[in-house]
Amino acid sequence: MIELKEDQLIRCPICEAVNIDKGKHNVCRRCGSAIYKHQHFSTEKSWAYLITAMIAYIPANLYPMLITKQFGAVEGSTILGGVVMLWEHGSYPIAAIIFFASIVIPILKFLILIYLLISVKYPIGKDKRVNKHKLYYITEAIGPWSMIDVFVVAILAALIHLANVEIVAGTAATAFATSVFFTLLAAHAFDERLIKEH
Amino acid sequence: MKLENEDALDNLIICHQCYTLHKEVPIKDGTKASCSACGGILYRYDSKLIEHGLALSITGLIFFILANLFPLVKIEILGYEQFITIPKTFIALFDNGFFVVGILCAFLIFIFPLMIFSINIFLFLLLKLKKGKTLSKELLILLSRIKPWSMSDIFLISILVALVKLIGYAQIHMGVAFWALVLFVGMDLYLTKRIHLSEIWMLRKRIYLAKGEQ
Repeated sequence: MIELKEDQLIRCPICEAVNIDKGKHNVCRRCGSAIYKHQHFSTEKSWAYLITAMIAYIPANLYPMLITKQFGAVEGSTILGGVVMLWEHGSYPIAAIIFFASIVIPILKFLILIYLLISVKYPIGKDKRVNKHKLYYITEAIGPWSMIDVFVVAILAALIHLANVEIVAGTAATAFATSVFFTLLAAHAFDERLIKEH
Repeated sequence: MKLENEDALDNLIICHQCYTLHKEVPIKDGTKASCSACGGILYRYDSKLIEHGLALSITGLIFFILANLFPLVKIEILGYEQFITIPKTFIALFDNGFFVVGILCAFLIFIFPLMIFSINIFLFLLLKLKKGKTLSKELLILLSRIKPWSMSDIFLISILVALVKLIGYAQIHMGVAFWALVLFVGMDLYLTKRIHLSEIWMLRKRIYLAKGEQ
């Protein structure tokens, strides 16, 4: 017979089995993987990934994402420049999709993760009404969609390479892909156990 | 809260959206249980999960192979014809010297989707034959690690976005592989989003328990 409190139960991030929180070394009883064993660095790992992602996001916006070489004329466009150009051309839905995927989602993810990482260490005022588990779930669900712009650049670069007209990826593509990759890692490294609302 | 032993924890389930604790209850075949706090789906009961899973993953793999063999999109621009396939997309990045993005794209749109479907076929076959208890465990762990990194659905939307950008400059013809990719993404969404991994874990437990008792 085991007696325990309900908030001692945790979910294995790998196989979703319910486990008893035994403190430092939790091994999942179903799949055998360690459940967030980095106890001493509860949020630092996630912070490190997140800061890397934010640093990579700066060149991603400054350098050109897409370079068009047309009859000898070379023209680069940044993420925001591309959105503005699409908007002026009248492709509003596409401009909106790119704007959401490359600007709104990454920044929203940064802000949500910063909020989560700070609030689990230093409780800020009356934030009990915010369901942090739900917030974390949303971050994980929308995160990959920021890859749209990288894929679009890859497709255009593969499709348009003629003698006179050529599209190649710009420096920002690497920076942006790195940024998205590290935001995803930051979200995965976040220890959901730290959110205690019970 | 009292429990007899640790195995009794298998009757509990924590909502994957809002972390609410629930007790698992038996439900009718083909129905689903939802979280009372947030409405998210906790689990479904499908008595033919192995057969459905196997059928879907084999069909998905066939569509994936088709989607890779034939051109996705063909365009006509200034009298030239150009087409892309899935491998060509990331090989073009390599050719331009973008190795980091190239490798990332190769994994996200080619290697991981392929792995997910092959692992699923293998896993459901093992469960069907009631063999390989440890192997199926390792496969399930691997599956849950690579699942968040498969982005075929996002790639599909990206193709559409890229094509809309090209309207007016080029004539666009959808290839056979595009429709194969659409069907593949449908299978992928069903397999990775609708069938929860925890359901396969529970199924695995039932299968090997029943086998142990015989």
